[in-house]
Amino acid sequence: MSFWLDQLVNGLTTGSIYALIALGYTMVYGVLQLINFAHGEVFMLGSFAGFGVIVAAGGADVSGPMVALVILLALVAAGAASAASATAIERLAYRPLRNAPRLAPLISAIGVSVFLSHLVDDGFLNGEGRYYPQVFPADTIEIGALTISYLQVFLMASSVAMMLGLSYFIRSTRTGKSIRAVSENRENASLMGIDVNRAIVATFIIGAIMAGFAGVLYGLFYSTIRGSMGFLPGIKAFTAAVLGGIGSIPGAVVGGYCLGLTETVGRELLNEIPGVNLPNEWRDVIAFGLLVVILIFRPTGIFGERVSKRA
Amino acid sequence: MPGTVRRATWDRVPAGLRSLAWLALSLSVLVIPVFDDTWVRMFFLVGLYVVLGMGLNVVVGFAGLLDLGYVAFFAAGAYMVGIWSSPVSPAVDTSLSFWLILPLALVVGAVVGVLLGMPVLPLRGDYLAIVTLGFGEIVRILVVNMTNVTNGSQGLYNIPRPDIAYREVDNVQAFYVMIVLAAFGTWFVTTRLRDSRIGRAWEAIREDEDVAGAMGINTTKYKLMAFAIGASVGALGGAIYAPFITFISPESFTLLVSINVLALVIIGGMGSTQGVVAGSLILIGIPELLQFSETRDALEQMGWARDGLNGAIHAFNTVTTADVSDLPPADEWGEKLAVYRFIVFGALLVVVMVLRPMGLFPSRRRTLEFEYPPEAEVAGGGGGS
Repeated sequence: MSFWLDQLVNGLTTGSIYALIALGYTMVYGVLQLINFAHGEVFMLGSFAGFGVIVAAGGADVSGPMVALVILLALVAAGAASAASATAIERLAYRPLRNAPRLAPLISAIGVSVFLSHLVDDGFLNGEGRYYPQVFPADTIEIGALTISYLQVFLMASSVAMMLGLSYFIRSTRTGKSIRAVSENRENASLMGIDVNRAIVATFIIGAIMAGFAGVLYGLFYSTIRGSMGFLPGIKAFTAAVLGGIGSIPGAVVGGYCLGLTETVGRELLNEIPGVNLPNEWRDVIAFGLLVVILIFRPTGIFGERVSKRA
Repeated sequence: MPGTVRRATWDRVPAGLRSLAWLALSLSVLVIPVFDDTWVRMFFLVGLYVVLGMGLNVVVGFAGLLDLGYVAFFAAGAYMVGIWSSPVSPAVDTSLSFWLILPLALVVGAVVGVLLGMPVLPLRGDYLAIVTLGFGEIVRILVVNMTNVTNGSQGLYNIPRPDIAYREVDNVQAFYVMIVLAAFGTWFVTTRLRDSRIGRAWEAIREDEDVAGAMGINTTKYKLMAFAIGASVGALGGAIYAPFITFISPESFTLLVSINVLALVIIGGMGSTQGVVAGSLILIGIPELLQFSETRDALEQMGWARDGLNGAIHAFNTVTTADVSDLPPADEWGEKLAVYRFIVFGALLVVVMVLRPMGLFPSRRRTLEFEYPPEAEVAGGGGGS
């Protein structure tokens, strides 16, 4: 029993990270109908910024109440670095292509992604990963049969907090409303006096902050980071966004948790079948398999309404 | 010269010049093998990606189905040859002739195309993109894990070279000629298809699937046909690649291949053959070129540039009291550049797209289509509903 509870917690942990990254994908898709392939790299840059702060603060030697401060600073630095890089990417690689054929920004996005991940890996790190200092206390809490580490509690709680913050921001603030208006209809929004460019940049920044936070959480949880680290979580998060219905914010969150749970618990469930022993990579097969099945029965995703017709 | 039906910008070039250009291109087939082996190797890879690009063009350019998992078909072709001819293939003991496997590979490619195409038929646009991307990854993971057929991550090695008239083809030049013939064949078939009834059906589906269906086009049939033909061409590329490289493993079939092919199709200008060739030269040729010893030699002569730049750095350091270190010696530049080639590749994608959003050789029809910015269309659609 406790094994399954552990799997459940693991699924929710990865799900939180997917959900945080997926939010950026889905929001950018909402306003620009663009698959922002460079979003995984924005996540990676945030993770490295947080890494820099933690290392500068003394790495694994940090202890006591200082840990909270250092992690807070790391999250802030990550959010700032991700937001700055996303703004730069939008300005240099996407804005000039706003009215170009639809596939042009997609290729530009792929270019940014390849450029950034290899710049970090080949240009700065010589292909080696970096070890994220484990500042977080390794203690665990036991609730009945369930064992859960403080880190996992922190990870889930902080991602839920950020998602609540985001949903407040999108629902109630002026900028949030302008983002929703632009994703509803860009032309009409601009006729209503909304500065479309500002709303688009705001979308990129908010998505990037979420991704930067996710980058730090990822580093703390998986402990190794590298330039190419954004690729797989990025693809998975995009899958999660599509699963939930791309363009929909609650969809991204639900999709992220669904994906996280399915790929961890799903693999173990399949392994329960006698004679089946699936290695870890099958998580990806299960994730994409789930996507295909859901899209066949509900082509617009769980919460989706909009269907884009053009390739 | 095969084919007289050609459209686009190409049509504005005088006919005499046009045939001259094709003649020059065909002659270069004979001239290029005179180059050094490393150069021919590069041209082979460029040619290979021209074939793949033309195949993907059928799916993306003609039928408008955004496929990010094209590598699956390339892998299918390569593994057909590997499984049936490699001596280490775990499932098959015999080693069949390449020329026997080649047609089989084309058929298997088409079958894989239909199999992967069927579940994604109802999907459109970006949903299709992500699912096909997923399929590409699934195929790669399957190849890693089906150890008893594909030899897993160890791969299949010692794939025999094909025989021509009982003589083993073991030089890159022959492979180069082979890929050029394959490219001409693919070009012929795909342009003929494009200009046929089938091509018009694809175009109608690309422009508006619902309307195409209402006009009596069997969209299921034609979409599957696009997948099958594109996949078959991908398998052809893979089948030629396997004996060329003689060793295939799952690492050769990553998402990067799909991205490369899609990027060169779009960078070249979707729907145009010249575009595929130009895109392939830029995206495959340039990164390969960066690894050449000639490039290294040329860079070693750049000592003067290094001295100049170091002078600037010293001046900068004295003025700002910063501590920027000297550039590495010029003979290390080549090595560095080879390592940095993916950085160059990524930057190239962005720069070409920003400067030429329609691609290098946009087809004329598409240029006309995009004279009207997408907003006009969106606003029109909104007003109608």
